[in-house]
Amino acid sequence: MKNVKLHLIALGLVIISELIGIIQIPVGIGTIVLLPMLFAMVLGILTTPKFLKIAKEKEMDDAGSLIGLTLMLLMAKYGTNIGPTLPKILAASPALILQELGNLGTVILGVPLGVIVLGLKRETIGGAHSISREPNVALIGDKFGLDSEEGQGVLGVYIVGTVIGTIFIGLMASFLAVNTPLHPYALAMASGVGSASMMTAGVGSLIAVYPEMEEMITAFGASSNMLSGLDGIYMSLILALPFSEWLYKKSYKFKYKEFPEPPMTKEEK
Amino acid sequence: MKLRDFIVILLITAGISVVGNYIGYKVNPIEAIPGMLILVGIAVAGILLSKFIPVKIPSVAYIVTLSTLLTVPGIPGSAFITEHVAKVNFLALATPILAYAGIYTGKNLDSLKKTGWRIVILALVVMIGTYVSSAIIANITLKMLGQI
Repeated sequence: MKNVKLHLIALGLVIISELIGIIQIPVGIGTIVLLPMLFAMVLGILTTPKFLKIAKEKEMDDAGSLIGLTLMLLMAKYGTNIGPTLPKILAASPALILQELGNLGTVILGVPLGVIVLGLKRETIGGAHSISREPNVALIGDKFGLDSEEGQGVLGVYIVGTVIGTIFIGLMASFLAVNTPLHPYALAMASGVGSASMMTAGVGSLIAVYPEMEEMITAFGASSNMLSGLDGIYMSLILALPFSEWLYKKSYKFKYKEFPEPPMTKEEK
Repeated sequence: MKLRDFIVILLITAGISVVGNYIGYKVNPIEAIPGMLILVGIAVAGILLSKFIPVKIPSVAYIVTLSTLLTVPGIPGSAFITEHVAKVNFLALATPILAYAGIYTGKNLDSLKKTGWRIVILALVVMIGTYVSSAIIANITLKMLGQI
């Protein structure tokens, strides 16, 4: 809390990252946009004991407990972008609500790949039923326990998402914005996956490409992200998890020519 | 955590953001500070609301709702808030968060190594799946609504 060293490291990271600034790299047909926040994250990892040893165990722990709080100013800023555009957001609400079903695309792609190609078992259900952010980890933990195969899956995807998710979503947003006919507003809505940092990376990359659309892009991203936070857990529970179970059985049968063992919920163990 | 600690942390983050806002986006700190203080005020109000309203809603939801309502055109003071907050670049607010997140991520590197490459591939596909399908659905719906 009163960890002055941590805040000084953070200040140093911010200064270096902002001095580097926004870098746009043309790659073949498109552009990759690298934002200061990505540099801050990568440099932040480099300060930890495995690398430069500037930040110690204590700084890492304190940083972890502060992330939630540091997000609040950004959230307040998002609201101030939604307010002035509220009539437009409301007019677009059917799109905002329907794109939440995009979560099921995760299941359709992820479950067969996990079972058939990667040879994973029930880890697939935990890891591919959703994008595995905090509410999903909580849900799987509640239903199967985090020490179960499903729990291993959801935690694994959660950790990968935390480490490279922001970078990956940012790259994907700018790549799709430049190389596909998908409109920046649609990509902004898609960026709201229920993780503020991923959404910010997605939205930030879009703004770097389309600065004149900043207000609407951030407003759509933030409102979609809020919606994901609100409905994400119900979506997982009612639609995505049962659908994952069903597709898991089909994929399992396809690969091993027999049906899998029936799943065990926490109560049955 | 006590409310005082919350405020101190918010002010520290705000201070770091003002520096970033100056270096990265060339906004004079004197101009950015009022907007930044408004954001701190909204955040504190949101935290207080979640403390005193007995329904279990995270403070983040109150903060976004509050700042949305305060900036709807026609609400008294909305023009003032919008004008000042506009001086704070939103990318400048994001950089400090990711700095802290990066420092924290150093802790998770080992467990990431343990989960293995198959989970890494699964995670990438999961992200592509969610992102691309949401974007396609949103694009089709926005087109049908005539908004793009």
